[in-house]
Amino acid sequence: MTSARQQLLEMINQPNEAYAQDPALINPLRLQAAQELFEERRKQIPLVENRAQEAGIDRIRTFDDLVPLLFAHTVYKSYPPSFIEQGRWDRMLQWLNTLSVSDVTNVDISKVTNVDEWIDTLWASGHKVLATSGSSGKCSFLNHSLQDSENKKRHFKYTVGWPFIQSTPTHTVFWLAPLKGPNSAIEAGNFNAENWGRPGSVFALYKQEVKISEVSHMASMRKKMAEGTATPDEIEAFQLNAKAKGQAGQEEFMELVDALLDRRHEPLFISGMWAQHMAIIERARQRGIGDGEFHSQTVMNAGGGVKGISLPEDYKEQVARFYGNVITPGAYGMTEMAQLNPRCEAGRYHAAPGMIWLVLDKDGERLLTEKDAVNGLVEGRFGFLDLLYEGRWGGLITGDKVTLDFHTTCACGRPGPTLLDNITRFAQAGEDDHIGCAGTIDSYIRGELNA
Amino acid sequence: MSDITPIWHVIKGQAVRGNALEHGSGKNRFGSPELNLNELIWPRQEPGPAFDVPLSQIMDILEELARWIEKDPDGVMVEALEQSVKLSTLPRDVLARSFAYLPHVFNRRSMEFQVETELGGADVLDGWRTVSDTPSGRTHRIRAFPPRLVHIVAGNAPGVSAQTVMRGALSKGVHLLKIPSNDLFTATAILRGLAAVAPNHPLTHSFSAVYWRGGDQKVESMLFRPQFFDKLVAWGGEGALRSAKNYIGPGFELVAFDPKTSISLIGREAFENEQTLSEVADRAAADATVMNQQACVSSRFQFVEGTAEQVDRFCALLQQRLGVERPTTSAVGNPLPADLREEIDGLKGMDPFYRVWGKNDGAGIVVRSDEPVDFHPDGRVVNVVGVKDLSDAVRFANVATQTVGIYPSARKTELRNILASMGTQRVVELGNAGSIEAGISHDGFFPLMRFMRWVNDEG
Repeated sequence: MTSARQQLLEMINQPNEAYAQDPALINPLRLQAAQELFEERRKQIPLVENRAQEAGIDRIRTFDDLVPLLFAHTVYKSYPPSFIEQGRWDRMLQWLNTLSVSDVTNVDISKVTNVDEWIDTLWASGHKVLATSGSSGKCSFLNHSLQDSENKKRHFKYTVGWPFIQSTPTHTVFWLAPLKGPNSAIEAGNFNAENWGRPGSVFALYKQEVKISEVSHMASMRKKMAEGTATPDEIEAFQLNAKAKGQAGQEEFMELVDALLDRRHEPLFISGMWAQHMAIIERARQRGIGDGEFHSQTVMNAGGGVKGISLPEDYKEQVARFYGNVITPGAYGMTEMAQLNPRCEAGRYHAAPGMIWLVLDKDGERLLTEKDAVNGLVEGRFGFLDLLYEGRWGGLITGDKVTLDFHTTCACGRPGPTLLDNITRFAQAGEDDHIGCAGTIDSYIRGELNA
Repeated sequence: MSDITPIWHVIKGQAVRGNALEHGSGKNRFGSPELNLNELIWPRQEPGPAFDVPLSQIMDILEELARWIEKDPDGVMVEALEQSVKLSTLPRDVLARSFAYLPHVFNRRSMEFQVETELGGADVLDGWRTVSDTPSGRTHRIRAFPPRLVHIVAGNAPGVSAQTVMRGALSKGVHLLKIPSNDLFTATAILRGLAAVAPNHPLTHSFSAVYWRGGDQKVESMLFRPQFFDKLVAWGGEGALRSAKNYIGPGFELVAFDPKTSISLIGREAFENEQTLSEVADRAAADATVMNQQACVSSRFQFVEGTAEQVDRFCALLQQRLGVERPTTSAVGNPLPADLREEIDGLKGMDPFYRVWGKNDGAGIVVRSDEPVDFHPDGRVVNVVGVKDLSDAVRFANVATQTVGIYPSARKTELRNILASMGTQRVVELGNAGSIEAGISHDGFFPLMRFMRWVNDEG
């Protein structure tokens, strides 16, 4: 790792200073680190070189030069799905190789029979590939190295909870999700369990494991249903299996909820989805537990999508009331990012020194500057270069719509710029009540596939 | 208020314009007049206004209407075009040429052909047709009785509104058109024309066209009842169909022009020589860009029988021809929506798995892959897939595949049965996907025949 990058990444060891760095001082260092990283990666990742040549970039002189080098997040799921369906693990390696720093083609996949084993084999060879279980059924695969994972854990150690509390292994952890499986939420769960959990006091959905083969099975089942090659018996078996799994998961979850409520007077570290928190409240009411009974050093995290889940309109208020006077930190992150961005006392997100924000126009082509801002605020598409990664390229354009505040001082007193807590997805333009005769087979597939 | 475009409603010949209700968002905002649901029905207790008007008289009026659209004496069509340019997803030149084509929909020869092929002649519309020589020895009379229809009109091509008025008029029934937000002006302009050429005529009183947001329960739960209408004629639109489904039941039937996708199959004959290949690429581009690829007939996946090198050569030529102006195609289309851009950007530089030709400049993009991509190519994007034999591509056709364009035409014969078995409804020679002949089946059925209520007087 180069000196500038190293220097920036090391700053996180003193989080209060790291998140209070003056951009005027730190940006030149970031630019230097980006140039050093680019110089190295273009030799290692063909797609970086390819993008650089296409855009005529030979050196990172300004942050604008990084824009054409950012990957679309879809690049990490750009493999042909038949590779998985037909078990072409060698081809999958070739594909992954085009997005990896170190050579993965020499990994011995001769014994691999499914996608879980493919990932396990890669992990055993030091390539900690993370998968997203996308709602479309097609998974993204992102390589990162063992060192990346260690550095990411350190980042979590000093960032999760900041600026309200620093992690120490003194809490009872309730991670309302699995802790086994190759995805970034699970990786985060394990980091948090280690950073916050008293030994022996980590509760999670241990009976569950995220298996990517199940996700890809769902995708191939969907395809078979679309093609009409799935038989009625196959569809029924699939649906019954999904239902049974859902029920088993529900039972284990309720056990976890009771354990959590039993320990409400201890300092807890709780992380779950909004709907799960609402289920906890419901259970608490059954047991006659009222609002505000939690320990004041409890750290409560709530998040996740609420689309398609019926929640009362005031679910956020209900959850806040229920936990009462606890610590509720927040952060903006995603699978593709190692150094998540914590939310300050003023409700703004701040960037770590090793994180370069690149807020772009809605097409993702141009870096927005203060000149684009009105009253210091500008809305755009979020892109970034995460300087942490050794296993792959850390530059990405997302589908997230963010508002960047250029003001040099945040309401919390630390330097800006900051991101507002209003992040949404870019909506599809002009789809209001349009009626057309063109459409896809998706409209013809009946039945619930989501387990 | 001033930046909101008001749209017209036409209610049984009366045109009103207003801004009482606001719809849409951003620069796509528009206003519509207040809705009075009572005005939108025709009570069953009395026959529809045009039930007994002779078909020849209706055709005379429609021919007059065609001339009115062409001459546009009151500037109504020009106004509709200008307003459409502001709110449609289609560019001005495509809209202008589509508007110029509208009079052809009312071509008498074509209308007579439809009545002949779909209903077996005008006699069954104008009166009761005798059916004798029956197995029972009884003599019956049948009539294609005028129906009461609600139309959820597609807005991806202005011609759909014209076709709806034309077929509706031929049926002699009563017709309520729900205007689509992507074509807010064509239907009402045509109906204002009808009121101009046939003021106070029963045919004019047989049509209304208004806007409500598709799925609006307040409106649909009141109107979509068998007491008022016989059938709901729906042109795609997943949201519209999903909501319509709630109201379909005994006495209220769905006639669905389902959402469709189209593909092309290109045989090895295309590579005979350079000139042939250029011509085939041009035909393939024409099929892909019908209505700037917004139509159900627009080809999105093209399967090419050839070596990797040949397929790539075809892709390059195809991409060059996508940006060519044609009757329903502009040289440059809209920039791609973000999700599609993201999908395609993710494939760039991913040789040898994918290759991408073209930029996001609106001219058109070709993506080559070994199997169909798992996103929906749209906005002038074609996915070209190489195959060893055209029969290998058949498995990618399904019940949502409407049109399959084939080169050379002679190979339709070997492929049409198996394609039909997979669910396909139409095979054409490559390059002819956009040429729709009214009077033969559409989406697997005869529309005019399906519109009618078939009633018997049995002997």
